[in-house]
Amino acid sequence: MTTVVFPEWRDKPLDDILCACRELLEDTDYPTVRRWREAGGKVIGHFQVYFPEEIAHAAGALPFKVRGASVEPTQADSRFGSYLCSILKTSLELALSGRVPLEMFVTHPICDAARNLAAVWGRNFDYPCQILYLPQNATSAHAAAYLHGEYRRLTQSIEQVTGRTVDDEALRHSIGVFNDNRALLRDLYRLKSDAPWLVSADESYVLVAVGCLLPREEHNDMLRTALPLLAQRTAQRRDRVRVVLEGGFCEQPPLDLIRAIGRSCYVVDDDLLIGLRWLTDDVPLDGDPLYRLADAYLNRSSHSPVQHDARKPKAEMLLERMRRANAGAAIVMAAKMCEPGLEEQVVHTRALDERNLPYFVSEFEENMTSFDHLEIQLETFVENLLFE
Amino acid sequence: MAYAAGVDVGSTQTKAVIIDEQRTIVSRALTDTGANVIRAAEHAFQEALRSGDLREEEVEYVVGTGYGRYKVTFGNTQVTEISCHGRGAVHMFPKTRTVLDMGGQDTKAIRVTNTGEIVDFCMNDKCAAGTGRFLGAASSALDIPLDQLGPTALRGERPVKISTTCTVFAESEVLSWLGKGKKIEDILLGVHESIGTRSIGLLRRVGIEDEVTFTGGVARNEAMVDTVNRRCGMTVNVGEESHYMGALGAALFALDRIVASRAPAKVQGEAS
Amino acid sequence: MTGTGVDHPLVGRGNTDGARLFREWFDALNVAAETGRASAYVFVMGSFAELLGAFDFPLVFPEINSLQTAVRRVAHEYLDQAEDYGYSPDICGYVKADVATQLRGGEHPMGRIPKPALAVYTNACNTYIKWAEIWERMYKIPTFVLDIPGTRTAGGQTWPGNGHFENDRRYVAGQLQELIALCEQVSGVAFDIDRLRENLAHANAMSVGWKRVLDLNAARPSVFNALSDGTIYLGVANGFRGTRAGADYFRALVEEMEYKSANGIGTLTDEQYRLIFVGVPCYPIFRRFNELFTEWGGTFVNSTYLWFASGGSNLGFEYDLADPIASLAEGVLIGVRDAMDSMFYQTGILSQMIDDYHADGVVYHPIKSCRTVSTGLADSRRALMEARDVASLFIESDMMDKRVVSEAQMKNRVDAFFEGLASRRLQTAAGPA
Repeated sequence: MTTVVFPEWRDKPLDDILCACRELLEDTDYPTVRRWREAGGKVIGHFQVYFPEEIAHAAGALPFKVRGASVEPTQADSRFGSYLCSILKTSLELALSGRVPLEMFVTHPICDAARNLAAVWGRNFDYPCQILYLPQNATSAHAAAYLHGEYRRLTQSIEQVTGRTVDDEALRHSIGVFNDNRALLRDLYRLKSDAPWLVSADESYVLVAVGCLLPREEHNDMLRTALPLLAQRTAQRRDRVRVVLEGGFCEQPPLDLIRAIGRSCYVVDDDLLIGLRWLTDDVPLDGDPLYRLADAYLNRSSHSPVQHDARKPKAEMLLERMRRANAGAAIVMAAKMCEPGLEEQVVHTRALDERNLPYFVSEFEENMTSFDHLEIQLETFVENLLFE
Repeated sequence: MAYAAGVDVGSTQTKAVIIDEQRTIVSRALTDTGANVIRAAEHAFQEALRSGDLREEEVEYVVGTGYGRYKVTFGNTQVTEISCHGRGAVHMFPKTRTVLDMGGQDTKAIRVTNTGEIVDFCMNDKCAAGTGRFLGAASSALDIPLDQLGPTALRGERPVKISTTCTVFAESEVLSWLGKGKKIEDILLGVHESIGTRSIGLLRRVGIEDEVTFTGGVARNEAMVDTVNRRCGMTVNVGEESHYMGALGAALFALDRIVASRAPAKVQGEAS
Repeated sequence: MTGTGVDHPLVGRGNTDGARLFREWFDALNVAAETGRASAYVFVMGSFAELLGAFDFPLVFPEINSLQTAVRRVAHEYLDQAEDYGYSPDICGYVKADVATQLRGGEHPMGRIPKPALAVYTNACNTYIKWAEIWERMYKIPTFVLDIPGTRTAGGQTWPGNGHFENDRRYVAGQLQELIALCEQVSGVAFDIDRLRENLAHANAMSVGWKRVLDLNAARPSVFNALSDGTIYLGVANGFRGTRAGADYFRALVEEMEYKSANGIGTLTDEQYRLIFVGVPCYPIFRRFNELFTEWGGTFVNSTYLWFASGGSNLGFEYDLADPIASLAEGVLIGVRDAMDSMFYQTGILSQMIDDYHADGVVYHPIKSCRTVSTGLADSRRALMEARDVASLFIESDMMDKRVVSEAQMKNRVDAFFEGLASRRLQTAAGPA
């Protein structure tokens, strides 16, 4: 597929690039997906948090990360009961409303609510809706072999749906593209940490988040252009607290909320859309590519509340992130009704209390429009730190 | 001529309806429920008798309904308001297949057969958002009388988005929009839209089937009717008696019992 | 033995014996707590009781401990304590009641609960995983999550011989070996395959018995109430899994139910309507909830709770004693997978159940605490209603938190449901118009 689905940013100055990304993110008609389909492309939707997108890519499909939307779940609402996070409903709404037709939909049991999604989706659509069982027993000596087999199974399903054979060569090529993408994202996060005055929290977010909607090659092109431009920006270094933002691994806070947070402090690291940066190093291109992907998932990966791994104790992980980013405080968020997020808040806040590290705790919802309360509390928190 | 009565004891208001054998409404009465539920039921019934110029003995059967249905101590039996609203709506509008009942404190969506039997129902009585209570909260926040809310909202053009799900916090959200310079008409329209969204959610759970009848006290609010029409994509039925639909349904069930007691004993069709 | 059918000593024996066994089990746990014996914390969807019993671990089921606080009407104290500690009102009530139990040093209405030396669980419920992480931190103990790859898509169950099944089975078997090594390390007891074999034999008898008992309830009138009586049998099925006492219990239970079935002896309810219950019971008002239905002559003939909360042992799968570990791997994979299916892919199963059990209606009871069971229920119901013309009721509450259980509201809906069932029956009797 050589169609370019997102030309709007090309040859534009930095501010226009950021604007184009923001508009794309806020466009609930998903023009990039539409253009991809119009050119004959297939789309494989996958839910949060992590998905081996390389496999879909190798089959010539567009891996579309389903992560909620700013839409009213008018049809989806009746499919669910009460006491649930918003992301489930708005995600299903995207499909029910016809905004994002898919060839296939895959989820992984990240939590008890989301693990129902494949079944609900499957009852409402004719295309294959599957569960991918990623290991929660990551330290088992048998996990890698199992996951290798599971990735092979997934590959077969994707082959059936796309009508394309996925051989090792195609996989290696795709892994290369995604290695580049992850490297560029690491570069962006390094910039955020080294010189946070050059890129605000919401600007960084839009640059990352459009990756969910684009062929990775286009995302790479855009990042390769934007990063040097960011580095060259002249911006005044301000006296702001360096914080790590934790809690954006699944349902996403609204962009305006991220902007509001960025007004009060420098977000030097976060777990927003961590699935895109799940693999922390380049996946080697030698050997069996599916095995390499499986091994990377298990052994060279980030952390989140929804993956269990005894080597990554939850209490330690946030502290480690803060250490590496030289952050003095944490914003510990959880989406409303998000069970893993809410449970993790207890772990994080206790660990931070033990070490006398300041933090701000709050809940959010992807489609909240008024957060005056939140902003005032956050500003007060930050002021306390600055004027201690 | 025999008469049948229905008494609908809601959490805020109690309604009574008396019908004759031709199923014509002979009289109706409305009173605040207050703290003494039994007294409210009796009072409403007596009022209905008075305005219908009837003696108590002429009413052969009374059915109690509503949350306080077991407090209609002079009644012969009780039937849930869900069944009663379904029955009443189909009686008033025979082509009714879906009912939206919006009362002071709860909202119900009911799907019915052509004879008023319940196919499915869904209620929102967990919280006040999406009920008439929300309008009450807006009314007090903006200091506008309840009966002015509808006409004012109808003048709105760009409804604001009310995102809080809690009625209590919605009050402060309404005031914050006012503070941001939004027009009262647009704010009120936003409030109506917000209630409408939740109601449509309930309707979709039971499935929207033409025709839709809108009952309950809130059905007298033109802006609410307008919102519901738009969201349903059809014109909903609204009757004069929308307030009394539950009591009417109860009276119809009462009449059923009167008719059944007159029929010769039948074995066929009786549940064992 | 003389007496009319209903007075026969067999009738009601399962309930009395079950209550007694339950009491004995908690008494034993109390002793374990007092003598400082460290226990294994396990869960109903994949308890590995057969294996852990071979290492002499006293077994603690925190799910059962938690629901007991609700049945005994003290759950709110436990929930409040956990919420004061920092846990959100919006997470699973079972977890919070257990956190409070731990904070109280194991103090519990049924006696003291011993501390864990080890926690073993599957991924059948994600909350199990976060829950065990709490004990990891609190007690610095090893926890073992045994991954059970479940069904990937509706109707996509694979079986022995299929390449994908074998990939899954190899993984489960490998993890079992790792679990055995961990158990040896923690208990200090060497693994004895004959002990495992013996426990598997008992588990076989229990599974076969459990399936038979469930099947017998297709009788008219039904022989036990799947909601009230069923929960007692389920408690034994879990707490005594792989034990002689458990096997004896189920042999006796089969005898009782066969007797009742043969003699047309039903439950205490005058059975007017046969219902299927989908979800987790409403423990805060357990008895009253059932009465809301039995008052109308409604009795529950089956329940998905008895399937998933028995870890799939309702299937009657029998382990092959000649190859215990391999067979355990296969059995656990099939059983726990089935438990998950009965929550996520239930439309076909329920439709079949309605026919097999001559059910008049289906009652869906989603609960705030349990997203695993509840998230898909509204859509599952929609799909069932589309597939066939059956009456159904959808009532939301919780299995722990009284604050979201409203008896008056539930009664309103239940009454309306029965009004509908009654008029539906009248219509059917009256014939086509």
